[in-house]
Amino acid sequence: MSGGERKKRISKGAGWEEAGGEFYQECYPGAELDIEHLPRDPHYFATLLPSKQNRAATTRRSRCDTKSTYKRCATNRSQNYSTMQQNTMQNDVHVAMMPDLSENLANEETTWEEMMLIKTMPINMSQKREIKAKLLSADTFRLQGLKQFKLKKRKLWEYLKVRRKELYKMIELWRQCFITIEGNFGTGVVAFFFFIKWLMFLNLTITVIIVCFVVVPTLLMQEKESDPCAQINDTSYECCPKIYFNSWTNLTITPYNILQGNGWLESTIMFYGYYPNSILENVILNYNLPLAYIATAAVYLLLSLCAMIKKAASGFKDRLMESEGQYYKYCSMVFGGWDFCISNESSAKIKHKAIYKEIKENLETERREEEKKNRNEEEELRFFFIRVFLNGISILICVFAGLLIFYTFQYSVGELQKDVHDDLHRLLLEFAPYLCIVGLNLVIPNILNYFVILENYSPISALRVAFFRTVILRLSSLGVLLASFFSLVRCTSDPATCSSPICQKPLCWETYIGQQIYKLLILDILSNAAITFLVNFPRMLLAKHLKCKFTQILGAQEFELPKHVLDVVYSQTLVWFGSFYAPLLPALATVLFFLVFYIKKFACLVNSSPSTTIYRASRSDSMFMSVLLVSFTVAVIPWAYTMTELEPSKSCGPYMGRLSVWSLIREFYNSFPSWVIFCFEGIVSSTFAVPTFFILILSLYYYYIVSKANKQMVNVLKKQLILEGHDKQFLLNRLSAFIKQHQERHKAIRSVDPPNNSN
Amino acid sequence: MGNKVVVFSEEQLQDYQDCTFLTRKDILRIQKKFRNLATDIVPKSMTAGNVTSTVMLPLDTIVKLPELRENPFKRRICEVFSKDNTGNLTFDEFLDMLSIFSEEAPRDIKVFYAFKIYDFDNDNHIGNEDMCTALKILTVNELNAEEMNQVCSKAIEEADVDGDGKLSYMEFNHVILRSPEFFSTFHIRI
Repeated sequence: MSGGERKKRISKGAGWEEAGGEFYQECYPGAELDIEHLPRDPHYFATLLPSKQNRAATTRRSRCDTKSTYKRCATNRSQNYSTMQQNTMQNDVHVAMMPDLSENLANEETTWEEMMLIKTMPINMSQKREIKAKLLSADTFRLQGLKQFKLKKRKLWEYLKVRRKELYKMIELWRQCFITIEGNFGTGVVAFFFFIKWLMFLNLTITVIIVCFVVVPTLLMQEKESDPCAQINDTSYECCPKIYFNSWTNLTITPYNILQGNGWLESTIMFYGYYPNSILENVILNYNLPLAYIATAAVYLLLSLCAMIKKAASGFKDRLMESEGQYYKYCSMVFGGWDFCISNESSAKIKHKAIYKEIKENLETERREEEKKNRNEEEELRFFFIRVFLNGISILICVFAGLLIFYTFQYSVGELQKDVHDDLHRLLLEFAPYLCIVGLNLVIPNILNYFVILENYSPISALRVAFFRTVILRLSSLGVLLASFFSLVRCTSDPATCSSPICQKPLCWETYIGQQIYKLLILDILSNAAITFLVNFPRMLLAKHLKCKFTQILGAQEFELPKHVLDVVYSQTLVWFGSFYAPLLPALATVLFFLVFYIKKFACLVNSSPSTTIYRASRSDSMFMSVLLVSFTVAVIPWAYTMTELEPSKSCGPYMGRLSVWSLIREFYNSFPSWVIFCFEGIVSSTFAVPTFFILILSLYYYYIVSKANKQMVNVLKKQLILEGHDKQFLLNRLSAFIKQHQERHKAIRSVDPPNNSN
Repeated sequence: MGNKVVVFSEEQLQDYQDCTFLTRKDILRIQKKFRNLATDIVPKSMTAGNVTSTVMLPLDTIVKLPELRENPFKRRICEVFSKDNTGNLTFDEFLDMLSIFSEEAPRDIKVFYAFKIYDFDNDNHIGNEDMCTALKILTVNELNAEEMNQVCSKAIEEADVDGDGKLSYMEFNHVILRSPEFFSTFHIRI
């Protein structure tokens, strides 16, 4: 270690020492000191113990680490320990290689680094200023040439980073909203609003991708080939598109059309049917639209998956930490319980209550565990039967809801086949299945929540069970809807004709599905808005202004996070499934999520009071992502199935005339050079795949074993730590006894022989 | 705006930026907040002499700050950040406090001050007493004595590694590291 480095350490140490506290002492006198010269205080020996020495060493090291990685720490707090160490080493080497001149003089770079470190010291402002002045006035060794340039670059980089942060703070969307919500409801709820924002930006990204690669080329380039069938009345196979395009007769814009997604809207870039099936041509390049269409879909789904996994992974780390933290349940309740962001009186009161409730609940859970051990068989059996019975009823309700949706859908399709001229009637029929879905989504969760109360779960698992059932209900209702689409679309007609009277299959079924999803999405948001503004808002007013008991029960509402999360996740599921059939659906969703933010903000700030259940930010974040991942699979699996198995409609879209979308990909694959195909086939062949599979399994098993061993090691070390603590306690007692003895003996000697002492 | 009062000299601002985690805008905003607490004591311009380290606002004024008003630990926080442990803060100390509570401040220094805040009797250890005081403040004295003791002893038992019945800084650090909530809740947005 060179002189410069040492000097730096000392000056830094001074900063921490001034902060006081026995726990920050830099160095302790070693073993060479003899007992004669030690202070009389036995507690002083505590600092001599090896464990304390270690501690001092660790503090020192961690401080150095912060220093050397300062550049990164500013941006990335979650530093990996090993990289830290590596960095320190590099820094040491770097410093050691510097010329001798710098031995007593700090150079410009280190001075600057120290300056940046001042703010991390736990001392007050005047001391910080002093240190800064000292640093500035001290002689520094000027850097030359490349190093000077590097330092300048670093300084500039740091400056730009600060500027960027300032700028970002200024333009950050909804920053003020977040602060208000956080002040009123705490960090758990604000995480939900960050989640909405995140989804909005995800949809915006998807929109940009789709617009760039699908919409713009379609609008800019012309189709290559001319129309094969000239006559209008030709009903042969080639003329299916003609028939479909001729059905776009009434292209006036009415509000009904906009709501239902038919008429004028059907003939725009909004839906699948608009996009041509040919290679587009321009002066410069040819653009294979069908291929681009499917590739874009694959890309944005992959992108969503990656974004989700990335977000979930960081939450997962927190969760792992927390799972270890269950040993520290009470500690984190006491030290991490209060939300320092809260600045609203009523929510502070509720937070106090919530913490009280959480502590009570924890004590209760422990008592319950005890009780459970003592519970006799009879009671056990009773609870078992109650739970089985109620679970059965929940399943029955779900099945019933599914059937209701299915039959409403059938009815609506059947009625719409007949001529309905009244616009309003038609609108109602079009929306019947979706009204049914939305209605069920509103009513049934409340019933399920009521069941959970009867089932006598512990508070935390009660929340989980209710949430799980609601997720199942919502996703299964969506599943039923998709199944009814499927039953309508699957019906195969004579390959030579465009449509047959037996099937009720629409001419362009992809556009049809796109329209249905579009309707459901719009209705979902509208119902959300309506309930927030027309039902819950008057309820709140009632509870606020009429102080009788009845209105209090009717009107008081809490902000139930899981329910609102489900609303948002549901919309996102629809977008994922529907954006293949209606490419501009993500654009619509971006706008809708923007509105949803304000709707939910109103629901949160105006309508409800903070919930007495504590939603932890880290826990809620991972909850959002896991629900979103489940719904992503629910959206993607049926989509992938239709891609590979179903025949695209003959009268519209980029894939007309093909057996399936998959066939296009296979064709494209066959057009690759032969060596690529050879390599790819080699990778997929069993001779390659089976060993790979085995290796993967083996490595997985290896990591599993390693993690298990580590866990055991952690346990052993923990025990050892505790034992050493006891050792220390024991030694301290012995030592202080010994010192006392020694002192007494000393005193005795002194009193016996005073002249000796004066020498 | 030509006749605008210069709140800080350029040098002061640079000093503050170097010594805290705040940006220029934040510092100016905090000055405004500080002044609004007591317009008659705090001058509009902080450039003169050492106004920033001599003009002192009493504890009872500081805790009226909207961001701090509802915080149950507000008095303790002010005490920790004041030089003489009375809770009266000068502007420098006030700025220090908000810098530590800003989102930019790293974990280590937050843990350091959190430890100080929870160490009510200033003995460099969090003992049973400190824990009970914190708990009392948190639950507004609603737990009965038995429950309180139960929770305190359980909490100490969880975190106490060396068996001395109280938490040292290292033990506290260890616990806080495993409480992911801490970092997300231990800040005050300005």
